[in-house]
Amino acid sequence: MTTVLDIQDVSKRYDDTVALKSATLSVVEGEFLTLLGPSGSGKTTLLRIIAGFQAPTGGSVLLRGRDITGLWPAERGIGMVFQQYALFPHMTVGDNIAYGLKQRKWKKPARQERVREMLDLVRLPGLEGRYPRQLSGGQQQRVALARALAYSPEILLMDEPLGALDRTLRLEMEEELRRIHRDMRATVIYVTHDQQEALALSDRIAVMRAGEICALSTPEDLYRRPNSGFVARFFADANVLPAKVISESAGRAVVECLGGRLECSVTGERADEMALVARRRSLKPGAVDGALSVRGTVNETLLLGEELEVTMSVPEVGRVVATISATALDEVAVGQELELFLPPDEAVLVPVD
Amino acid sequence: MTTGAANQLTFGRGRRLGTRVALRLGSVVTAIIVVVLLAPVLTVIAVSFSQAEFFEFPPKALGFRQYDTLFSDTDWLKAVGLSFRIAIPAALISALISVPTVLAIYRSSLRGRQALQFTSMLSLIIPISAYAVAMYGVFAQFQLVGTYIGLVIANTVLAFPLTLAVVAAAMSRVPQELELAAMIAGASRARAWMQITGRLLLPALLGGTLLAFIASFDEAVMINFVGGAGQITLPKAIFDSVRYGVDPVITAIATLLMVGTGVLMFAIVRLRGAGNPEGGS
Repeated sequence: MTTVLDIQDVSKRYDDTVALKSATLSVVEGEFLTLLGPSGSGKTTLLRIIAGFQAPTGGSVLLRGRDITGLWPAERGIGMVFQQYALFPHMTVGDNIAYGLKQRKWKKPARQERVREMLDLVRLPGLEGRYPRQLSGGQQQRVALARALAYSPEILLMDEPLGALDRTLRLEMEEELRRIHRDMRATVIYVTHDQQEALALSDRIAVMRAGEICALSTPEDLYRRPNSGFVARFFADANVLPAKVISESAGRAVVECLGGRLECSVTGERADEMALVARRRSLKPGAVDGALSVRGTVNETLLLGEELEVTMSVPEVGRVVATISATALDEVAVGQELELFLPPDEAVLVPVD
Repeated sequence: MTTGAANQLTFGRGRRLGTRVALRLGSVVTAIIVVVLLAPVLTVIAVSFSQAEFFEFPPKALGFRQYDTLFSDTDWLKAVGLSFRIAIPAALISALISVPTVLAIYRSSLRGRQALQFTSMLSLIIPISAYAVAMYGVFAQFQLVGTYIGLVIANTVLAFPLTLAVVAAAMSRVPQELELAAMIAGASRARAWMQITGRLLLPALLGGTLLAFIASFDEAVMINFVGGAGQITLPKAIFDSVRYGVDPVITAIATLLMVGTGVLMFAIVRLRGAGNPEGGS
């Protein structure tokens, strides 16, 4: 695997605020890497530093081993898709897509050929003569993608590109993005605050928080073995139950939680305050050997077809949400007491934050 | 405005009598306003085509006598020429300054760029007669009163806010992402500016320049303070002419001015429509 992009200890400070504490990250060829985080987490700052729109306060950015930290955006050979598409309104679709080729002094026939290829790729053949305002939002986004990919950039940056689309169109575009990523074998850095989107698209996800990358792994790994309560909450919408470690050995620990005891595996670091991660689907109605009992009052139920989402309030913890099989319980009524169980092999011990 | 609202309301059937009376009254008032606005204009145009040597309405005989007199009178032509020689440079200088000014206001991190926008607009807010008196005082210090250069400076100061307002409004509609998109695709900062933002501002810049030209050409207050005795622009010449009695030649000038301004205003409206990135005018 060839490393395409190397971000080494990059930081960004404004007068009195720190937008990015320190980020270190490598992206390999053909990888789809997502920067996932809430607003203000530094993900957009990092993307803009990679693009060259902002200079980092410290650290360096290497593209195929070449230090590009001080280069102009134009000199980097990077493609980018913006949230609001940013198509040039006074140019046709064809001229928009050919813009980067023109800067690279491609001859006209070669440009036209490439524009046709790109329009086929994004499944908008024959639209080169239209103006952006004549296209729908989804079509504009495809043109923006075609423009960014036309000159075969080393890496493609995408800044919340699906944020302006409605849900149906977003799901459709996610599929298109996966296909185009496969077909073009492009290396992509994708920024979003939507974990579902990150989950659907990414090879790896960097979870960002308060100017730092706090987790970096495959979606499956982040989902099954989060390294902190924040990642579990933000990424998997999991429940985080405060726990006390009683004893620990060889990657296993016995913890006390909600008045019960449970043996579980330890994946993250150790901190003063630890917690058990209980994913929504880990909480089950039937008791298993060694399972932890979670007891509370049902606040709300929501039928999701085959499954039932139960929100209950648990003393000492607060809100706990579980997704259980709709047929597992006869009836779950609001206000009723409910006992669910967390099996030992499903629980993960992490630092609270 | 009134007729528009009236049209919308007619969609409802079986309106009450009070509403009908109000609507009828509104139409009548609108009609009166239109007549009062247009009557002097039509009178002036009619008189300009009379053959009389004096102000005659309605004209008894039609012809181009007033226009013949105008185009054979060197004093009038000199005044028109001076107005052009002042308004054209004032408009061009306004345009030239407005571009870096909107850049500084919208794309730089310059300290006090809000203040820059405000002070640029000041000459619009200050009463023109008070401003002219102050300018006379300043010009007197530098021996600029009654000079051509002085008049160009004074008119530029008055016209610049108009250009800036039009260009700034257009600039606020051009997202910076467009420039960034051009830069990441391989354009230098200057080229991204010229090909994208500058190009999108062009219609507004032309419109703003025309607006500045019209304002300078039509300027009738400042000239009386800083023009001195020797500099006579067209508005000043009209003013002087009216002071010594009514010469029907001014109706010919007024008609030409209205036609010229009308054409330019139409051009400005068309340009602003073309400059809207969303399309449509």
